[in-house]
Amino acid sequence: MSATDARDGEPIVQIRDLYKEFHRDDFTIPVLMGINVDLRAGEFMALMGPSGSGKTTLLNLIAGLDRPTSGTLRVIGQDLGNTSEGALARWRSQHIGFIFQLYNLIPVLTAYENVELPLTLTRLGKRERREHVAAALEVVGLSDRGDHYPRQLSGGQEQRVAIARAIATDPTLLVADEPTGDLDAKSAAEILDLLQRLNEEFAKTIVMVTHDPHAAARAKRLLHLEKGVLVDDQPNGQAVKGAGR
Amino acid sequence: MKLFKYIWRNATRNKLRSSLTILSVAFSLALMTVLYGYLAMQNVWSNEAKTHNRIVVLNKQGFSGKVPIAYVDRVRRMPGIKAAVPYSWFGGTYKDEQAPFAQFGTDAKEVFNVWNEYVIAPEQLAAWQANRQGCVVDSRFAEQRGWKIGEKIPLKGTYYQFDLQLEMVGVFKAPQPTGSLWFHWDYLEEGLKSKNALLSAGNAGAVYAKVERADAIAGLCQSIDDKFASSDNPTRTQTEAAFAQMFTDMVGNIQAYIRNIGLAVMFSLTLVAANAMAMSMRERTTEVAVLKAIGFSRGRVLNLVLGESCLIAAIGGLIGLAIGGGFLQVIHKSAPQYFPFSIGDMAGGWMLWIVGVAVGIGLVSGLVPAVRAAQLSVVNGLRRVV
Repeated sequence: MSATDARDGEPIVQIRDLYKEFHRDDFTIPVLMGINVDLRAGEFMALMGPSGSGKTTLLNLIAGLDRPTSGTLRVIGQDLGNTSEGALARWRSQHIGFIFQLYNLIPVLTAYENVELPLTLTRLGKRERREHVAAALEVVGLSDRGDHYPRQLSGGQEQRVAIARAIATDPTLLVADEPTGDLDAKSAAEILDLLQRLNEEFAKTIVMVTHDPHAAARAKRLLHLEKGVLVDDQPNGQAVKGAGR
Repeated sequence: MKLFKYIWRNATRNKLRSSLTILSVAFSLALMTVLYGYLAMQNVWSNEAKTHNRIVVLNKQGFSGKVPIAYVDRVRRMPGIKAAVPYSWFGGTYKDEQAPFAQFGTDAKEVFNVWNEYVIAPEQLAAWQANRQGCVVDSRFAEQRGWKIGEKIPLKGTYYQFDLQLEMVGVFKAPQPTGSLWFHWDYLEEGLKSKNALLSAGNAGAVYAKVERADAIAGLCQSIDDKFASSDNPTRTQTEAAFAQMFTDMVGNIQAYIRNIGLAVMFSLTLVAANAMAMSMRERTTEVAVLKAIGFSRGRVLNLVLGESCLIAAIGGLIGLAIGGGFLQVIHKSAPQYFPFSIGDMAGGWMLWIVGVAVGIGLVSGLVPAVRAAQLSVVNGLRRVV
């Protein structure tokens, strides 16, 4: 299912009274408290807040990597609070694309093979996989780097390969955790341009965690978390195309 | 199969560690290959012996007892027996050699009727029969030692306190290398009498007989033993195959020890391989978390890790099989009398078993790291870097 398939007007992420707690020894640590958020198809949302505010935890919950302690969490029609781990893995492979701060490419695989990796979970044949990989590398502008290993690429190029890996299966939702956090200003701007293009040209719904106001400025909507509580949720009036850092 | 390339790259990611693990598996399994190859050789030997309808008459006490030479004729006259000969081990050393090779005193007139699959030129056989000090030698063995017809072969007695001065007057061709030399039993007897070794004189170490029909063997063995049961030297008669098996059984305990030591080595090796695999997976915690994040199921992660550990162990197993097989082939070439069959003759299920053991080591050594990887929490795995 791609973003363009989402039914107009219906949120692809519905969060109601969401709580998340972690347990360390005898202590219970509340991380998210009473979060309510709707996210519609085609939105580009930035999650901001100080360290420990619960941004990454919320991102992980939306991406189906973790389960809420209580509350309702429906993403792309799936109730993530009541889904088995195996079903969640399958669901993630079909609907979610991940972009990490440190790219997290597999070092022993080439750029091409890294992008192909999530496609090995599908029923696509070799030729179809090759077409998907070629298209993804084309989108990120690295068609000529397919046979390069991650160590042979710059940080910005690695992150672009990671983005190609995230979009190779044409997922509905892209989740990015500090995607520019490890990049220089120029590379970061290129990555943000790419994310913005994916949102606007390819109608990808994006949730991005960031500390960086310049990165957040590219999003259409800003959520601000503090100490596990959503303190601000508003359209980003200042969202600027091609804004630098 | 879509992920084989990834498994292969993971297996070769840390080349030093993988090479050491592969070599440790290889050398251990080479040892097992030699052991099981030896057992396979015994089996092949035993099976081969079954096809020739030969029986062996020993003293009931085994090798410590003697078989009176008169028994040869009495066995020979029994219905169903085609031929019978005395067969006495001499065990002398050649020139400056320390270890004796196989030398047997026998009956030159009948021995090729008992071993009728062996071939000798008629004139050489006649020459042997006419020469009291003559001997015939397995052609491969003679060639290996560079002996020609007319070669003087002095044998220094070790078990017996006298020497033999033999002359090679012929060679025989056997289907498998025997490393044997045959000389006249009478010549041995002369030596015994000359040294007043009267307790040994007049006896043979064993009597070998050729039976006309395979289905008569069991009955004949029983008849022979019954015939001599009340004598001073009762006998124990068995097939040549059973006789060959007896040697295997004699070292049966040693085999058990070697097997147990082999198992202990395998167990230790599995732990070493498991440790290497665990280290490898610990270094890849984040990578595993990423795989699970993008949708790899527990089962798929489990298979990836087990596939890697099995691949490493299987490579080690194949190398070990090649090393062990090569070693057995070298033994076959250099000491055919002890190891008459080539590795090709012994190829069989036991080799698959060795590879199976290797894969088993891979499975067991990879199990704990694989389960831990499969159960890894994605969030905890990613926490290191995000």
